[in-house]
Amino acid sequence: MVHKKGMKQFWLLFALVGLLMLLAACSGDDTKDDVATNVEGTEADGTPEEPAKEDGLSGKLEIQYFVGGYGDEWWKQVIGDFKNENPNLEIVEHAGPNINTEMNTRWISNNPPDVVYIDGAGANETQMIAEGQLMDISDFVKDLKMEDGTPLLDSFISPAEEIDGGKIYSLPLVFDTWGIWYDSNWFKENNWAAPTDFDTWLSSMEQIKVETNIAPFITTGQHPQYFERGVLNPAFAAAGGEQFLNDLRNGVVEAWQRPEALEVMKKVQKMADAKVVDPGFAAYNHTQSQMNFLLHKNAYIPVGFWLPNEMKNDTPSDLEFGFTPTPMNEPGEPLALVPDIRTIAVSEKAKNPEAAKAFLEFIFTEKYAQDFAASTGAIMNLKNVDLSANTNVPEFLTGINDMINNPDAVQLYKHHTPDAEVQKIAVEITNEIKLQLIEVLLGKKTAEQFIDIMTKKSQELRK
Amino acid sequence: MAQSAKQRYLFLAFCLLPTFLLFLVFTVYPMLGGLYYSFFEWSGTSSVKTFIGLDNYVKLWNDTIIKQAIFNDFFFVFVKVIGIMMLSLFFAVALTQLRIKEAPFYRIVFFFPNIMSVVVIGILWQFIYDPSIGLVNSFLMKVGLTEWARPWLGDMTWVLPSIAIPAIWAGIGLFMLLLMGGISNVPKSLYEAADIDGASEWQQFWRITVPLIWPQIKTSILYIIITSLNGSFVLVQVMTGGGPGSASEVMGSYLYQRAFEDFQFGYGAAIGVLILVVSLITVLISQFILKKEKVEY
Repeated sequence: MVHKKGMKQFWLLFALVGLLMLLAACSGDDTKDDVATNVEGTEADGTPEEPAKEDGLSGKLEIQYFVGGYGDEWWKQVIGDFKNENPNLEIVEHAGPNINTEMNTRWISNNPPDVVYIDGAGANETQMIAEGQLMDISDFVKDLKMEDGTPLLDSFISPAEEIDGGKIYSLPLVFDTWGIWYDSNWFKENNWAAPTDFDTWLSSMEQIKVETNIAPFITTGQHPQYFERGVLNPAFAAAGGEQFLNDLRNGVVEAWQRPEALEVMKKVQKMADAKVVDPGFAAYNHTQSQMNFLLHKNAYIPVGFWLPNEMKNDTPSDLEFGFTPTPMNEPGEPLALVPDIRTIAVSEKAKNPEAAKAFLEFIFTEKYAQDFAASTGAIMNLKNVDLSANTNVPEFLTGINDMINNPDAVQLYKHHTPDAEVQKIAVEITNEIKLQLIEVLLGKKTAEQFIDIMTKKSQELRK
Repeated sequence: MAQSAKQRYLFLAFCLLPTFLLFLVFTVYPMLGGLYYSFFEWSGTSSVKTFIGLDNYVKLWNDTIIKQAIFNDFFFVFVKVIGIMMLSLFFAVALTQLRIKEAPFYRIVFFFPNIMSVVVIGILWQFIYDPSIGLVNSFLMKVGLTEWARPWLGDMTWVLPSIAIPAIWAGIGLFMLLLMGGISNVPKSLYEAADIDGASEWQQFWRITVPLIWPQIKTSILYIIITSLNGSFVLVQVMTGGGPGSASEVMGSYLYQRAFEDFQFGYGAAIGVLILVVSLITVLISQFILKKEKVEY
């Protein structure tokens, strides 16, 4: 009897342990999911932070930032400086190339970090705004001023986006943009001129092809968005303006039926017909295509500002980066640039919003804009920052900065954030463009066929 | 006796329970979770979810890319089953029945890809297929077949066979070993008797070897089908990302794109359910086709 009773107790205990294991595994507590993140402090415990004290900020401030082609040197510096100014504040960094995925469970469980830099795979600002994850900071930013007294909102190259009648959910931190890169040294050696419009670009590519027997243009076929953002969007903007560009991306049927859309695609078809596009482009990922460019297997590549920094370890010493906004414009018209702004925001559920806002205020200064250019080879989204005297800034960047700040040379076109419903259409349109683009560049589809498919897709989505 | 049987069952249940619990937690629960999420519109990045019933499945029904992906998945299943089984059977027979001194060495060589990560295999073959520096095009040019050289992974016609080759290459070793085990267990006396009766080697292979290792062949085919339907994704993602266009898209890569790049997690979950259903149906059909009486001599 004793034995039987003991066995019963044993099975009861065993079943209880099993049940507990099951419950633990099925529970919604996701706070332990970000163990892979770069944490310089303790884990968030979900309890509200203490309010800021008079002698500086205190409590804990969690910052999430993506580390990609621009590295993390700048972030380490500004966070370190902010910490020095606020010794009572504990700063927890969540950073890395996969940080958006790693922090996903925190966002899903409504326990996000306080500050988020929105960049990299797995981050989508439109989605975050639509789902109420970002704080409306309109009132806060309207009062912010630069050191010289200029309102911060007037100091951006590409302005902060106002949604739903003036609400601001993020600040435009990094002025990224796509354009065409070439090797200035190589061009000088061969007396090749940098293009200024589509005609000069195409003739330049034809000349390079004849003289070197290479296909001058390379892009990654595995990630067609490089061509879409780097060539097609500036081309659409140059042909029909900002509204036209946004309408096309948002699947407005009438926009796809406008003659400008076909004209742009005819230019793309001309590139394919002239066989200036690398025949192997469809097989390459972005790194392979960038390597081929550095090795002079090609002469032009559409990539964002991060290219020199991302490829610095593989760049031959005699290569000098040259950059131009994509020359898809007509002769005599300004070059078109569509900025791809990377923003920073405060999460709606921030536990230390005061420190988060203070951090945002802290980073928008000329000093950090200079440091950003020096450490990343890219531009912080602040106007009138003179990089010419900064010896740590690469030469190509000084030229780009001057160009961007000169409205006569370059026309900036903005891609507006659509509302949540239109965003769904925009995703499908982008996917369709990516699919069809490859076939046009491979010479398997004509410009007319492309426009026809996109028009039908837009009609289907807008039904 | 009854008491003893009961205790034995209890002991077996005790041994199986942890595995069963793990199976529930890590297999059944996520599967049910996937099914649940497939009825929602959900970005997968916030707690906001909207119940939309069967809308994701209706969208799936009208999606042309998923049809292409299913076709591509079955292409991989078909060529992998044929390619892997033929080659692994050939090498298994060669290494067991022909007296090759270096057989142990070849066993290691053939098995080697199985210990490599699929990602590494994908990158390795990307280099082999590279249009400008790749081995394949260099070889073709060296032997005067310049017009045959092409961007293999960027060619819409050739991309699927180009991915299938490393998939077959990486799969041979494991199944070769499995079949070798089966062949080693076939009694030598059967071959000796067949020799005396004047049966050719080909006849011995079809009448003795294949029937007696049928359980291993069947297991191998089923395993290739299951792993191909669920596992082609990694190789495709690394080598082509589903491109050019959607030429090499498989259900797994499309799921990844929709769920994690387009932030349509609910739709991705519906694709996941589709993969499960397609896999189950395929395995059931395969089991029915491969059903054969066990042969004993």
